[in-house]
Amino acid sequence: MNCEVCRLKELEVEHFEIREVLRCILHTILFHRALGLVRPKDVDLELFEITYVQCGNVELEKKIDEKIDQFIDRVEKHPNKKNQICLSFYEVKNKQAVWFTNKVERLYWEQWYISLNVAQQPKSHSGKSYYSKVVVDPGESALEERSHRRAALEASLREVLFQIIKFVNEKKDHVPPIPNLEGLSFPYEITISSSSDSASGMDMFKRMLQTGHPTMLS
Amino acid sequence: MSMALYHGNTQSSEAAKMEQIITEFFAKSRQIILESRCPHVSSRNYSGEQMMSSPSPSSSSSSSSSIRGRDKWFNLALRDCPAAIESIDFWRQSNLEPMVVDIILVQRLSDWDPMSYSPRRDLVRNLSGKERFQNCWSSEDDEFGCDMKTEKIIERWVVQYESRKGGRDCSSGSKRSIAPSLHTLYKKSILLLRSLYAMVRLLPAYKLYRDLISSGQILTFNLAHRVSSFVEPFTHREESEMQQFEFTPVETFSGRLCLSVTYRSSLLDVSSEPSTPMTPQFIQDYVGSPMADPLKRLLSFPVPQGSPCSSPFGRRHSWSHDFYTPSPPSALPSPSPAYSDSRASISKPSSHCLPPRSLPRHLPETPQRHKNNTNLDAYWPSIFSPSPSTSPPAHLPSSHKSKALLRSESAPVSIPASKLGSTPLSNNNQILPRSPPLKVKRNSASKTQRSSGLVQTSTVDKLFSFGKYENKRCSGSSGVKLSSNSSPQKSFSRSSSKLSFQDDFDDSEFSGPFVVDDDDMADRGSRPGSFDQRGLIRDPLEPRGLFQVRKSQDAAVAALVHVLKRAPPLRQDISNSIDLSPSSSHVTLTNPTEERNEKSELRVQSAVISVASPKTTSAALEELRGYREMKDLLLRQKGMRSHTQAK
Repeated sequence: MNCEVCRLKELEVEHFEIREVLRCILHTILFHRALGLVRPKDVDLELFEITYVQCGNVELEKKIDEKIDQFIDRVEKHPNKKNQICLSFYEVKNKQAVWFTNKVERLYWEQWYISLNVAQQPKSHSGKSYYSKVVVDPGESALEERSHRRAALEASLREVLFQIIKFVNEKKDHVPPIPNLEGLSFPYEITISSSSDSASGMDMFKRMLQTGHPTMLS
Repeated sequence: MSMALYHGNTQSSEAAKMEQIITEFFAKSRQIILESRCPHVSSRNYSGEQMMSSPSPSSSSSSSSSIRGRDKWFNLALRDCPAAIESIDFWRQSNLEPMVVDIILVQRLSDWDPMSYSPRRDLVRNLSGKERFQNCWSSEDDEFGCDMKTEKIIERWVVQYESRKGGRDCSSGSKRSIAPSLHTLYKKSILLLRSLYAMVRLLPAYKLYRDLISSGQILTFNLAHRVSSFVEPFTHREESEMQQFEFTPVETFSGRLCLSVTYRSSLLDVSSEPSTPMTPQFIQDYVGSPMADPLKRLLSFPVPQGSPCSSPFGRRHSWSHDFYTPSPPSALPSPSPAYSDSRASISKPSSHCLPPRSLPRHLPETPQRHKNNTNLDAYWPSIFSPSPSTSPPAHLPSSHKSKALLRSESAPVSIPASKLGSTPLSNNNQILPRSPPLKVKRNSASKTQRSSGLVQTSTVDKLFSFGKYENKRCSGSSGVKLSSNSSPQKSFSRSSSKLSFQDDFDDSEFSGPFVVDDDDMADRGSRPGSFDQRGLIRDPLEPRGLFQVRKSQDAAVAALVHVLKRAPPLRQDISNSIDLSPSSSHVTLTNPTEERNEKSELRVQSAVISVASPKTTSAALEELRGYREMKDLLLRQKGMRSHTQAK
């Protein structure tokens, strides 16, 4: 069984948008991977005109929120880096214990990479209101800019959701049989990584190693 | 899992199970689609009950349990969807026929002469063949009364099971077995339905549905659905506006299960805002076509603008009183201040962009005028930004009919498409219904900026009265699109801060066209009209003289206000503006400038052009020509002025 990887389109977000965006994306992915009985729950985003679907499982929501909190912490600690969340689904293979190790091997069959580029704009929001200005001031153009950016982000988020749907549609064969077990979803894990620009080379290197192509790092 | 319901492990039972999976797939997909498109079945309980009246007795007893069981199919528990239940009774087709679910947008055109809408209902009746469906329609009719409705299919879902003869299907099926097992089939169907569920909420029609169920008011549109087993092909034009998404088919050993959707990618012409229906009338001689008499009159009259400052008052009065009556050319309605101000640039008609040139000049004098217009204070502060005198020259109206190329300092006035006889905006720019109010205020502001000691109060008053008139006319004549004019922006850009801004102005009831007659405009350099930064466009059906003011354009607002003040009465079109033209006398009040004459010239032209919306293409072309001339003139002026300044 091969591991399918989906790298979602990178999104440029502001700090306060992280939570909503991540929730939307993660829940959408999980909704497609929680193949046990679900009662879907529609959730409207506040910042955008998008409605996404949750599985309606409280525990799942809690876990997701925890991870998002971790991500936000990471972003705050590493402000100038590109941060990435990786949602991986795996199958548990109980490897026969070799001697003392009783390790449970995880066989990943799908990985989703969500890249967020968190804008680090100094909040120089002027206290001036529109009505007190005499001059066409940068405040207004900043507002324009923000709404442009917001609209662009909404469009991008929609694209990402479409991307998820397309991926889920196109790649179905690698999905393992549905476990008739407890829990709604396939086992999954969420990891957070942040990479500066230089580290992306490492990623590429790693990928090369995995794929085994003797390509050169350029 | 529902598969546990099956027993028997023979091939036939496998086939039977597969059949049942497919049948349930049809039902489930129908339910997913309808429950998020059919407002009657969700929060509107009254209609839900109505809908359930007939089917429920038969289905409740026998199928209540199965409904619950059905809930668990594909591990997707959905709430009851009466529309889907109904259509299940209707949908007695074999799995081999496609199931086509059309989502229809029914828009109410208010206050037209009631045309017979029964044919449509009959058609629907024939198609559906069911009482219930009729009920659906009749409830809409009740809501809409005797209004004319337009229908448009905005989404079409096709669920189909393509059977494959011979069973040679191992191509895309699971590679591990000859035929995809039932489990695999079921798993893939689950995945497909999950993505359907998510997709349904991402398509544009979902927003309409949400608006319908959330708004407690009567909206101007409604959503209907139609389940059939044949595909009524779209026209070529319709198809060009639609996009398609195909879900990956699920292979079975005897065929494949296909699901696709064709949808309109933009639904921006639907307003979710409730609007009071207004009588859509086209006021024929709203401002009098400049292509008709006015032009002649314009040329013939020497524009006796020699009147001093007082004449504006006189004109103003005549204008305001004679608003609806054609007045003799001498009664020039436009605000005289326009002329008295020194205008460096020629003001163009509403469709032109006026380079904001003289604004800085007038700043010092602003304060006095400012105090006279206290009621506009709220909007003025921002207007007092000195606009650079080198704003880009006005562009041809044709080029910016719908999209003003706004610079930050100017408020290009663009003539709406309809005005110039061109086709209305077909793109999906949001309609800017109430931009006039915004413009009005801005214009007043700009007006005050204009110095030269013109009496502004009067003009401001005139402006307001004019604006109100405009509003009445405008709203009356915006016709079909009126309902959609009611700030569709609000519905479509929730997060837009612009909207709230616009809302402030919307309340002012200013709207409608007005002549940009403008020395004032010219020298202020603002273009009366601008676009919302998002390219929101005034409804092309609105009467001419639509200005689109860019929200952030203080100068534009000022210009607009100025224009409004100076705008002649609607009915008096060019005749009045003619008097405007060579108003050197008006200019006396302003700083003398050699450009005065040119300005007047331009003024004349602008007056001519700005007034009425041509009703024919030739008229539009004439206007275009006029605009071109104005533009050339302005450019010349600009060149001249810079030359002068360089001296």
